[in-house]
Amino acid sequence: MGRYVLKRLLMMIPVFIGVSLIVYCICGSNTRPILMKVGGEDMTLEEEAELKHELGFDQPILIRYVKYMGGMIRGDLGKSHITGDDVLESFLQTFPLTMKVAMSSVLVAILISLPLGIVSALKRGTLTDNASMVVALLGLSIPNFWFGLMMILLFALNLRWLPSVGYKQGIKSLILPAITIGTGMTARLTRQTRSSMLDVLRADYLRTARAKGVSESRVILHHALRNALIPIIATLGGQIAATLAGASVTETVFALPGVGRLVVNAINDMDVNMVTGCVTLKAMVTSVVMLLVDFLFALVDPRIKAQFAKGGKKNG
Amino acid sequence: MAENMKNENLALDIQNLTIHYEVDGDIVEAVNDVSLQLENGKTLGLVGETGAGKTSTALAILKMIPDPPGIIKSGSITVCGHDVMKASKKELHAIRGKDVSMIFQDPMTSLNPVLTVGEQIAESVQLHEKGMSKSAALDRAMEMLETVGIPRERAFDYPHQFSGGMKQRVVIAIALACNPKLLLADEPTTALDVTIQAQVLDLMRKLREEYKMSMVMITHDLGIVAEVCDEVAVMYAGRIVERGTLREVFKNTKHPYTEGLFNSLPNPRDRKAELIPIPGLMPDPANLPQGCAFAPRCPYATEACTKAQPQPRKFSDTHTVLCTAYDDAGFHIRRNHNG
Repeated sequence: MGRYVLKRLLMMIPVFIGVSLIVYCICGSNTRPILMKVGGEDMTLEEEAELKHELGFDQPILIRYVKYMGGMIRGDLGKSHITGDDVLESFLQTFPLTMKVAMSSVLVAILISLPLGIVSALKRGTLTDNASMVVALLGLSIPNFWFGLMMILLFALNLRWLPSVGYKQGIKSLILPAITIGTGMTARLTRQTRSSMLDVLRADYLRTARAKGVSESRVILHHALRNALIPIIATLGGQIAATLAGASVTETVFALPGVGRLVVNAINDMDVNMVTGCVTLKAMVTSVVMLLVDFLFALVDPRIKAQFAKGGKKNG
Repeated sequence: MAENMKNENLALDIQNLTIHYEVDGDIVEAVNDVSLQLENGKTLGLVGETGAGKTSTALAILKMIPDPPGIIKSGSITVCGHDVMKASKKELHAIRGKDVSMIFQDPMTSLNPVLTVGEQIAESVQLHEKGMSKSAALDRAMEMLETVGIPRERAFDYPHQFSGGMKQRVVIAIALACNPKLLLADEPTTALDVTIQAQVLDLMRKLREEYKMSMVMITHDLGIVAEVCDEVAVMYAGRIVERGTLREVFKNTKHPYTEGLFNSLPNPRDRKAELIPIPGLMPDPANLPQGCAFAPRCPYATEACTKAQPQPRKFSDTHTVLCTAYDDAGFHIRRNHNG
C-alpha cells in the first residue's frame, strides 16, 4: 500500500512538469500585455527595453521557465507581475472559498442524484424514470452562465431571498453558486447512478439475498448500492476535481473571489507567474483528489484492495 | 379435500400453478397447471430441459418470480403450513431463508463480491433469530462454514478469494444457516467441475440427513436424480409430464419424453452405441401447440395428440403420466433398459 502511494506521488512529477511547461510557454511567449500594463501605453522603446531587462523578459523562454521551476522546487511560486502579490499566498487566500463552493455543490448533487438515480433504475421505463431522465438531460445541457443568471434574476432580484453576487453573507452567498454548479453535477451523477444500478440490479447475488429473507429496501441499499458505487465514485471524483480547480464561469457570474476567477483575471493580463503557479497548484489538487478516489475504491471494493496489496498486479 | 387432510405431512403442496411472463404483448406460458406434493423428509428431482419451467416453479415457491414481467396467474402454494400466495411481505421475508431456502445455479455470481462470506452467512442468521448479537451470528456463520468443510477463519475472506466449488459450499452454508425445512436446489452442480460436483452432491446428501430436510433438486442430469432423489417429476414445456417414485420413473418409464431423455444418455455397457437424441426443439413457450406440447417431437404421436391437451393418467398411487397415447389400452413404449 505504501509503495503504491509513493508510486502515485512520484507519477505526479512528470504531470507537473508537463502542465507547467505548456502553460508557461503559452502564457510567457507574449509579454507585451504585461509590459503595457506596467510601463504604460506611451513608454518609449528605450524604456520598454529597460523594463524587459528588469523583468527578465529579454531571456529565451526556456531559460525563464527553468528559472521559474527552480523557484517552484524551493516553494517559491513567484510574484504577480501586475499586482506584485505572492502567487502561493493569492492561491491559498482564494482556495478556501472555491473549496466551500465545491463541497456544497457536491452535497447538493449527492443528496439529489443518488435517490433519483436509484428510483429511476428501480422504476425503469415508467413515467418517473423518463421524467427524471429528461430533467437530468436538461441539467446537463443548460449552460452554467445562463442558469446562474436566471437564478440571480429569480431569487435575488425578484424574490429578494438571496444575495446576487459577492461573498459577504456567508453561507447564504453560497446557495446560488452551489445550485448552479450542482445542477450539471447532479445530472451527470443521476445518469451514472441509474445506469450502474441497472447493471447491478440484474445480479444473481441480489436473488441470493432475497432468498435469505432480506427486505427489499435492504437488498437495494445494502447489497446493490455498494456494488454500484465504483462508477458513481469515479464520476463524482472527476466532478469534484473539476470544481476544486475552480468553476471559472460560475465564479465570474456570481463575482466570487475564488481560484477560478483569480486564474481568469491572470490570464486576461497574461500574468505568466500567476497563471503558471495557479494552474500547477490546480493540477496538484486534481491529482490528490484522484488519488483519494482510488483509495475510496479500495475501501468499497475488496477486489480492488487486493490489487493494491499485491502492488498493482492483477488478482485472479 | 383429501389433500387438505394430508397437509401436515407435506413440506410442499403446489396446486394448479400457472405462471406467465408477459413481454411486449407476447405471453410466455412458463408453467402450466402444475401440481406437486412433497412429503416431509423426501427429496424430489425436478427434471427437464432448459426453459421447461423448473426454475420458475422453484422461484414461485418463494414468491420470487420477477414481476414484471412474471405473473402467477393461478394456483396455490403451501410450504410448511404457510400459504405463500396469501402471505404478506413481512411473512414472506420470515419464510424465506428460515422455512425454505434456495441454492442457485451459478456459485460464481451468487455471492455478493463486496461482503465477506462470514457477513453473508451471518446476515441470514441475524434476520431470522431475533435478538441475536452480531458476534453470535458471526460465530454461527463460522460453525456453518465448518459444517460445509471450510475452515472457520475464512469467514473474513471475500468471495473472490474462493474457488467455484468452495463458493458453492458457502452458498449451501447460507441456505442452511437457519435450519430450513425445505431446500430448493436449482442445478447446484451444473456450473462445477465433475470432480467437484461429486463432492458437493455428497455434502448435500449428508446435510439433508443431518438436518432432516425435504429437498427439491432441480436438474437436467438424470444421474444426479438417481443418486439423490426419492421421487421424480419430469417437466416439459411448463407441464409435469411424468411423476412417480424414482423406481417407477426409471424402471417403468411411461412417457415418451422421459424415454427420450433416457435414450439420449450414453450407455456405459455399450460404449460404441450412438446416442439417440430427441429430434427437434422444445416449442416456443410463447406459442405452444394446441394439443400435447411434445407431440411434434414424439415418435408415437397420433392425430389425437395434436387435438387436445392430454389428461393425467394414474398407473399407481404415486405414478402419474400426461400422455394421450395410453387411451389405447395396448400402447406401450419401446424403452430399452440401459440403466
